[in-house]
Amino acid sequence: MTIEGTQEYSINMGPQHPSTHGVFRMVVHLDGEVVIKVEPKIGYLHRGLEKIAESRTYAQFVPYTDRLDYLAGSHNSLGYVQAVEQLMGIEVPERAEYLRVIFAELGRIASHLVMIASGSLDICGWTPWSYCFRDRERILDLFEMTAGNRMTPNYFRIGGVSHDVPDEFMPALKSFLDDMPEMLEEYQGIFFGNEIVQSRMKSVGILPKELAENLLITGANLRASGVQYDVRKAEPYSIYDRFDFNIPVLYGCDTYDRHMIRLLEIQESSKILRQALRDIPEGSVMAKVPKVIKPPVGKVYHRVENPKGEMGWYIVSNGTTKPARVRIRAGAFVNVQMLPAIIAGWKIQDLVTIFASMDLVLGEVDK
Amino acid sequence: MVSDMLRAQVDELAARVNGEVEEHLGELELTVHYPDAIETLTSVKNFSEVPCDFLHDLCGMDLEDHLEVVYQLSSLRGPQRLRIIARVERDNPVIDSATSIWRGADFLEREAFDMFGIQFKGHPNLKRIYLWDDFEGYPMRKDYVVESHEQRAIMRVRKEGE
Repeated sequence: MTIEGTQEYSINMGPQHPSTHGVFRMVVHLDGEVVIKVEPKIGYLHRGLEKIAESRTYAQFVPYTDRLDYLAGSHNSLGYVQAVEQLMGIEVPERAEYLRVIFAELGRIASHLVMIASGSLDICGWTPWSYCFRDRERILDLFEMTAGNRMTPNYFRIGGVSHDVPDEFMPALKSFLDDMPEMLEEYQGIFFGNEIVQSRMKSVGILPKELAENLLITGANLRASGVQYDVRKAEPYSIYDRFDFNIPVLYGCDTYDRHMIRLLEIQESSKILRQALRDIPEGSVMAKVPKVIKPPVGKVYHRVENPKGEMGWYIVSNGTTKPARVRIRAGAFVNVQMLPAIIAGWKIQDLVTIFASMDLVLGEVDK
Repeated sequence: MVSDMLRAQVDELAARVNGEVEEHLGELELTVHYPDAIETLTSVKNFSEVPCDFLHDLCGMDLEDHLEVVYQLSSLRGPQRLRIIARVERDNPVIDSATSIWRGADFLEREAFDMFGIQFKGHPNLKRIYLWDDFEGYPMRKDYVVESHEQRAIMRVRKEGE
């Protein structure tokens, strides 16, 4: 309802708007500064990865998977290579499994740090941003020293990982983990304890539990709405069943809790990393895999818990060297639906924080 | 591992909707024809003790002679998993929308429409999601012709003085 003498208007926000974290466009219908409706428009980064997969061999598609969620590249490849391994019945060596978990969890921490950083940047907090990026840089250094690539390591292979980590990797990882408690304290103090952050984020953008389930929201956003569900526990893949960690859950359902849950997950990830560092065995990092990867006819649906939500890989093999279908269920893509569902009635400044709290990465949304 | 409880209920449902039950790598799969899709989904959502009430994924699939809509179901409260495949005619791909059961099926169905041209009856806003509105054809279908590298290379050549 508009005030008499005024009318609703709609503006385009994005695809180049800095607070949309990539090429996301939304048509925002406004009454003054109150948002009435938002229509998300996606597809600016659509590369047709599912179509590309049909014209590549199984091994050739691995580098593409890193480009989905480019803030945590390793975890996407993990889902893909594990799905192919399930189709072919390949057993991965112990050490490779541990290295995979280490890379996946480092990716999760890096992704969550970017989320907290950009969330603070959207409300003009430059210092938390610099803190988070300072620490994320150390993770990227670890990726770089192993795989030669910072954001999209392309380190996993069907049957293991491409090569062992260099000697200086483990000490560097250890010193990173040792500094972790101090880092978390800093984020607590400068971001989560900040009065401006709390007043901008608490009780803003409520996503009730029932709505979240009905909208098929997954990942940390679901856990911030009071559902304790994590694929790593519910259906442990890789060697996640060996580690002792908790699934954090918050019941606030608001923007603040969706940021807070990331901080708690960083804590849990560092617990996993510490245990992995302690238990990692010596040995080979690559299984005996046939030169030509040709899975038998069959289909598999494999799910992994990505930092952005659950990622599902539905791979149909027709017995040739190329897959008949590779379906990517991207968590962030489904999570976009949360925005139009909860946005009505909030002001345009809240739109920015609510959008930041959804933690989208457009590489994964647009595939 | 498929629990006996789930297996028994799926078998019973399959007899009712005239479907076929298969197992692939420990995953149960139920294939039905498109008119029964919504009834099947509603039934599995209300299974006793092992409800498959979370639509994890919905996607299209082209099998040359017919299309499929693949529903991956699971639950937030248990380990049960089920895949439902609804066969759709290729010439007239119409199926009822699942948005009445899960609101979140909205985007997933729009994607299947965008890529395979499957019409979801009862969908609130069935428009292309990734591609632009006047895009011709459905790119994920097997008979879609992708322009060759040569052709694309020609298009990239600039004229003099450009």
